Amino acid sequence: MTAPDDTVLEVSDLITTFDTDAGTLTAVDGVSFSVRRGRTLGVVGESGCGKSVTALSIMRLLPQPMGRIAGGAIHFGGRNLVTLPPSEMLEVRGGQIGMIFQEPMTALNPVHTIGRQLSEVFLLHRTKDSGEALQLAIDMLRKVGIPSPEVRIGEYPHQLSGGMRQRVVIAMALACKPAVVIADEPTTALDVTIQAQILELMQALQDEMGMAIVLITHDLGVIAEMCDDVVVMYAGRIAETGPVERIFASPSHPYTRGLLDSIPRIEGQRKSRLSIIEGMVPTLSELPRGCRFQNRCPYRIDRCAEQPPLETVEAGHRTACHRWRELPPR
Amino acid sequence: MSLLSRLIKDPLTRRKLQRFRQIRRGYVSFLILCGLVALALVAELLVNNRALIVRYEGRWYFPTYGAIHTGNEFGLEYSWEVNYRELREHFASGNNGNWVLLPPVPYSPTENAYAGETFRPRPPDWSRRHFLGTDQINRDILARLLYGFRTALLFAACFIALTYVIGISLGCLMGYFGGWFDLFVQRLIEIWSNIPFLFVVIIVASIITPNLWILLAIVVLFSWTSMTYYMRSVTYREKARDYVHAAQVLGAGTPRVIFRHILPNILSTIVTFIPFTVSSAIAALTSLDFLGFGLPPPTPSWGELLRQGTSNLNAPWIVASAFSALTIVLTLVTFVGEAIREAFDPKKFTTYQ
Repeated sequence: MTAPDDTVLEVSDLITTFDTDAGTLTAVDGVSFSVRRGRTLGVVGESGCGKSVTALSIMRLLPQPMGRIAGGAIHFGGRNLVTLPPSEMLEVRGGQIGMIFQEPMTALNPVHTIGRQLSEVFLLHRTKDSGEALQLAIDMLRKVGIPSPEVRIGEYPHQLSGGMRQRVVIAMALACKPAVVIADEPTTALDVTIQAQILELMQALQDEMGMAIVLITHDLGVIAEMCDDVVVMYAGRIAETGPVERIFASPSHPYTRGLLDSIPRIEGQRKSRLSIIEGMVPTLSELPRGCRFQNRCPYRIDRCAEQPPLETVEAGHRTACHRWRELPPR
Repeated sequence: MSLLSRLIKDPLTRRKLQRFRQIRRGYVSFLILCGLVALALVAELLVNNRALIVRYEGRWYFPTYGAIHTGNEFGLEYSWEVNYRELREHFASGNNGNWVLLPPVPYSPTENAYAGETFRPRPPDWSRRHFLGTDQINRDILARLLYGFRTALLFAACFIALTYVIGISLGCLMGYFGGWFDLFVQRLIEIWSNIPFLFVVIIVASIITPNLWILLAIVVLFSWTSMTYYMRSVTYREKARDYVHAAQVLGAGTPRVIFRHILPNILSTIVTFIPFTVSSAIAALTSLDFLGFGLPPPTPSWGELLRQGTSNLNAPWIVASAFSALTIVLTLVTFVGEAIREAFDPKKFTTYQ
């Protein structure tokens, strides 16, 4: 294991609930992970598995008044973000934790110029002087590889291409050199060629600025490309977590296996049927007791009706399956 | 102000303005309306019983905006304010280089133009420069129309400012916070908007003589609610957009998110409402005056003129001028409103491609 002081963000036993008409739903149930300085943690899972809710919980930006953190702790910079007063949270957001959104089309305010939006970050956290903030904004745009930033700052979001906009969003997230950046599906809305550019840019900026990245995605290719560690989530719980090589080489949870098997491969017989995970993710209001994957799991046994604990497969690699030892080798 | 200049720089707004200019009817109405407003602003120079320039004994006088000049100062035998129309005739008969330049309509809206004669409406008389005649107590109708228009404009401007400030802030807060706050305030608004407005005005008017500001306060008190509905719903819509989250993620506080990020995005909705609010404000003031619960006499007002006109149908020029003025202005405002609404229609230009 790594030294504890290497950890910048530690989420422990996070429980996030939503009060809805159908009762209280638990979107994130006992999720724990830690993010190490300068490293990239991937959070992967299907839609609705709680990835984004985890991110919003860290930012304390759950939809109000329905969403709330019902338990657990989020330790960042020696403080517990769960109990931090809102005024201090304003400082943390943008200043110490940045966030990159999925849709660069809508993450920028359509009525403000690029320069204005970007300099707002500096005005909120760094300086009171708007001229200086604008200069910092220009520097930041140059850093994220936007050509002729002096011209671009006067333009509006709709005048930029999707890739350019995502670069601006990244610039905004990284403007104040945060210790952690949460990227919520940063490349999902982009063309494949642009995706590669954006991922490359994020890696280059990480090398330069040394921030930790929490990369939320459903794209295992992106995970393989970018991450050091992976958290696989299923229906609000962690299914498996560990270093990326371990997860890809020897997945110890049937769900992770299913995910990996459903990636189309170019080698082997072409146009063969893709392997899929049968069934559907249970809705949050009708989760099965015990392991939540049991209704789709090919290895289901009666014991699955009780929740399997996260067991250590080997150092850093843990899985929540009763039968991980018995799984056939891949 | 910086908000305005930024909006004008925004290419989308430019296209909207350009489109507004292309809608001929609305644009021409807008220009005419601007002209009327300009006329009302310099009403003293056009319609006034004070002279524009007096040349007396080699000296210049500009009495329009200055202090009162008494009759003695210009060689007349009285020490109250000089009657410039008489002064002009006096100088003209003297033939010693003194002269008076009067405004095109040399009457004040509150003055009896036929002092000492019987009160009766007089028909339009171009030689005496009563272009629209006089009302039943010998006051010039054109003067009353123009100054009444100014009062109505002032009323409308204050009305818009106040109702929008209250309605927008509260509506935005309701939409932004939602939940119990929204529910609670919404119920309060529903209860509040069920208080019959006219009865309150009648009660207040029977206790005190309302002036423009009291009247404004009462009307605003019962009119701000409608704005909250629109603002609440558009804020709900905007709040769900990612840029609001993005602003929160940057560490922007609630007021900043609402007023710097959400408000500029719903400004086009607000702009669309303004002309219709103007016309409803003018109509509200006029109808209150017409019913006699409005401004105290002798304040010039269109409603009061309409009332005189309908009770003096044998002098049709009164009701005709007041009615035409009201109709023309409200029609112009409505045309402008229509054009703005069409120019800002998001179906033609969306902020998202």
